[in-house]
Amino acid sequence: MYNAYTENAPFLARQNAFNLRLQEKYLQGALAEGRKLVFDSIQEPVLWVRDGKDLMIVVKMLRTDDTIKVDFLSSLTAYDNKDKVDGPKRFVMVYNFYSTTTNVRVRVKLAVNLDEAVPTLTNEWAAANWLEREVWDLFGIPFAGHPNLRRIMMDERFTGHPLRKEYPIKQREPFADNIPFHLGAQPLPKSEK
Amino acid sequence: MENKQPLADFYNPNVLINLGPAHPAMHGTLRVMCRINGEVIEDATCEIGYLHRAIEKLGEEKTYHQWMVYTDRLNYCSALINNIAYAMTVENVMNIKITDRCLWVRMIMMELSRIIDHLVCLAANILDAGALTCFWLLFRWREEAYTMIESACGMRLTTTYARIGGMSYDIPDDFIPRLFKFCEEFPKAMDEVDALLSGNRIWIDRTRGVGVLSREDALNYSATGVVARASGLDIDLRRDRPYMAYDQVDFDVVVGSNGDTYDRYLCRMEEMKQSVRILKQCIDKIPGGPIWVDDRRVQIPEKIDVYTKMEVLIHHFKIFMEGIDVPAGESFTFVEGANGELGFYIVSRGGPKAWRLHVKSPSLMQFQAYEKMIKGDKIADAVATLGSVNIIAGELDR
Repeated sequence: MYNAYTENAPFLARQNAFNLRLQEKYLQGALAEGRKLVFDSIQEPVLWVRDGKDLMIVVKMLRTDDTIKVDFLSSLTAYDNKDKVDGPKRFVMVYNFYSTTTNVRVRVKLAVNLDEAVPTLTNEWAAANWLEREVWDLFGIPFAGHPNLRRIMMDERFTGHPLRKEYPIKQREPFADNIPFHLGAQPLPKSEK
Repeated sequence: MENKQPLADFYNPNVLINLGPAHPAMHGTLRVMCRINGEVIEDATCEIGYLHRAIEKLGEEKTYHQWMVYTDRLNYCSALINNIAYAMTVENVMNIKITDRCLWVRMIMMELSRIIDHLVCLAANILDAGALTCFWLLFRWREEAYTMIESACGMRLTTTYARIGGMSYDIPDDFIPRLFKFCEEFPKAMDEVDALLSGNRIWIDRTRGVGVLSREDALNYSATGVVARASGLDIDLRRDRPYMAYDQVDFDVVVGSNGDTYDRYLCRMEEMKQSVRILKQCIDKIPGGPIWVDDRRVQIPEKIDVYTKMEVLIHHFKIFMEGIDVPAGESFTFVEGANGELGFYIVSRGGPKAWRLHVKSPSLMQFQAYEKMIKGDKIADAVATLGSVNIIAGELDR
């Protein structure tokens, strides 16, 4: 695989050391119950966490880990698990964390049920704000503690969540007019500056 | 004129002004609402979604090959990078190892696209600030690069050049000499622009200290690419997580320090020179051989065989009518796009269509940070900052 880092020897060593550390620190002990480490098509680690609380514990651990040094939120998305291949729950949240110093990546997955709130990451990274709004808009997964959870891609009057599998691709919902621009719950707060 | 408002209202600290979404200086359908005090932006917020075309939803409805054309419409300034990154992701899920020649052709195309993207961004940014000469100087070379790409795949802006497991065509015979000429002459044009702008009092006054993003904020807002590097965040996936053959070529990662518009300009200029450096090494190292991987699952047969041999015709028909069969699995592949970290996430449950296809676009992160960058600046500075951040609406809204 030329496309992956897997042919680069020094890099592979670093990633393997990281995988070992994941095994030791994150998958052993009483807290680690329900977590699972799997590898994707190019052998990148995917860590399944138990629930929302566990997600926050893992994120805090990753951020304070002095060998992995995760400090960057690369991406945050979700997918519909309607066919129940990845467990009994309806959606899977996918977080992608990166370290700008050690250059390792870890993908964290969390299965959530319909209307089950996921704790927000906006307190950890400001970047999570729009990403979580997007997931809310397209999948309808709510985020507990999000400061401004509104639709971002769709119009505010839009009904339904288009990336759910049951949403028909040809369904249209046109609006003739624009709604006045506003900021949701906080109408233009005065800045601290 | 009793309704006339008193002049004091002009200095009302709660005046709202709307930038965009349909304005030539907004580079696509972007909308920013600013609360201004006099001419200073005290607070700003962005609204996106005007160009949302449900590309991710379409990814679940189209076969892997059909979706290739949608990648062109993400970042249309560097469509080739999107094409190739997407092809890479599907290849990762299928565990396909592409041929050496294909690899180097792809590297050439990616670097050429990076140059084009930086040229467009710089030229538009400089034009927004009022300097037309540099615009023509830079766009002349964009034209030359596009003509080269056209000679390779027949299209200019939306190329659809990559295929899963190869490229649609091999590069023509005169491509490499032409690229060599480009590598020789293009840096001279860069020097010309450099001489016109880098020490120019007006340009410096217009850009230095404008739209500042600190290193901490770059991390906090997940800024990548030139925006992050100009803020002093030393990340470049080409060096940090080498994909393709980037570990076999020499280049420097350009890092700024102030995180303002001027630093982003300098970073882009230098990064183009580094891309030329990579291109020169690619010219030396590009091997011969086939461009298509020898894998029956994905290889599109030669046209002449399709017309003359029945088995090949059936194979061709099945590839295009049914699509290729991708095994169950998933991959999140990131490349260093022209704007920053570009990622494609494919969850496959087997079969010719993806179960979930996600695009991680750098523009989304950068535009979120843009709210923060323009606070405290003037309205005209917001336009200069927007040009330097290079938000592409197609990639932002998807």
